[in-house]
Amino acid sequence: MTAAVSVTGLSRGYRGHQALTDLTFELGTPCVAGLLGRNGAGKTTLLRILAGQEFHDSGRVRVFGAEPLENDAVLRRMILVREDQTYPDLKVRHVPEAAALLYPNWDAELARTLLDAYELPPGRPIKKLSRGMRTALGIVVGLACRAEVTLFDEPYAGLDPVARALFYDQLLADYTAHPRCIVLSTHLIDEAAELLDRVLVLDRGRLVLDAPADDLRGAATVVTGPADGVERFAAGRTTLSRRTLGARTTAVMIGRLDARDREIADHLRLRLEAVTLQQLAVYAADHHDQFGLTTARAS
Amino acid sequence: MTRATPIVPVVRYLLLDRVTYVLLPWTWAVFTFLIDVVILELTPAGDTAHRWVGGLGAVFAVMFAVGVQSAARALPLALSLGISRRGYYLGATALAGGLAVCFGLVVAVGQSVERATGGWGIDMAYFRVPYFLDGPWYQSWLTAAVAFALLFVHGMWFGLIHRRAGLLGTTVFGAAQLCVLALAAVVATWAHDWHRIGRFLATLTAAGLTAALATALVVLVTGSYATIRRLTV
Repeated sequence: MTAAVSVTGLSRGYRGHQALTDLTFELGTPCVAGLLGRNGAGKTTLLRILAGQEFHDSGRVRVFGAEPLENDAVLRRMILVREDQTYPDLKVRHVPEAAALLYPNWDAELARTLLDAYELPPGRPIKKLSRGMRTALGIVVGLACRAEVTLFDEPYAGLDPVARALFYDQLLADYTAHPRCIVLSTHLIDEAAELLDRVLVLDRGRLVLDAPADDLRGAATVVTGPADGVERFAAGRTTLSRRTLGARTTAVMIGRLDARDREIADHLRLRLEAVTLQQLAVYAADHHDQFGLTTARAS
Repeated sequence: MTRATPIVPVVRYLLLDRVTYVLLPWTWAVFTFLIDVVILELTPAGDTAHRWVGGLGAVFAVMFAVGVQSAARALPLALSLGISRRGYYLGATALAGGLAVCFGLVVAVGQSVERATGGWGIDMAYFRVPYFLDGPWYQSWLTAAVAFALLFVHGMWFGLIHRRAGLLGTTVFGAAQLCVLALAAVVATWAHDWHRIGRFLATLTAAGLTAALATALVVLVTGSYATIRRLTV
């Protein structure tokens, strides 16, 4: 099967700054992939290259087996919803009209429903919208166009928690009904964690983690308790961090725990907490040499 | 799966902003027409058969601004919606051509009405420009259409440069064009060619001028297309 997105040895540099270095990964379809990383990690650059808006210095990018750059046949199957999208002097209703001209699977009914849900006045000029409303407009187009590869770059910027929850619900419902390849670049990892099939973490332009989300859930544990108990429990395991405050120590350990481990922890009066995806992303960025890059191939 | 270059969808996408592309130039035309009427009513007629006014120039200037807008504002969303640079450029230039033909026709029709009404009853030559737009209607149509297209594409090139290089780059780009003209003037002076240039301009017909504009249009299309192909948004 041809991967929806295939990237091999991708690099992109600007004057004095290497934005992306030797990225290699594949995304199958259907899937919802989370593209995670700090500011400046290279997420937006990667998405722009995938969408043909940016050039790369070296490496290979394929979407549905073809180079997306200046390829109308590929580009019509993709959309990039950007946080910082520049709009022409149009009214709100014109943007769905524009998308309807360009996407054969455009769902006008869904667009209307979402415009209502986000309380976007169709007759209002886009330049008069708040930041959150502009973000919501991007979400409306991104979901209703049903592009086979949908790239969301920080789709929640400026959205309140209610609007974000609405986005997650709509995304999940639409993805279930119309499975496709969706990439979400975000800082709010834990909020989106339940949606994700795949997790890619970028740090300073390098891919430091690429794994199925299910494999990452429970892949690391925070152990808290008496210092000597934590030391005994952690002996022989890979720890990402260790912090001692008085008589108590908190350690983050890689590896799944079985029932026997939990019995021991209970006996040592240790508290065990699963590391969230958000924390994992942070640890992956800080300790990727110890963390071990998991490579997940297209399903 | 293949798709032909989406020229028609791009044209329709751009025309969603009809105010900018259609209404704005002719709103300015109406405005400048009224201003010219007021000025002619307030000033003595003199002895000439035609009272030349320059209001129509506003429409050409707005066409330049519309071209800037088509690149600076409309391009980024188009690329996000899965249009290639080439597809966008072809669509935008097709729109420029279509608008130029229609606007040129308006100028030609306006000239006919102007002649039939004795210059709107006040000898005003609004749609006629001496030497440039003062021939038969079909020639005026052609010349005006080429000039409209030229200004749209020139504006688009400026808009592309602005997207790529910001205000500083745009300033340098504009200054470079002025430098080319200044250099040509210097060369003409050194070569003592001004009298030949004057003779050439004096003998240049409106059709010849249209051909010169068309040649400049080809240069601008080539330059702006090369720019958009390397543009990132």
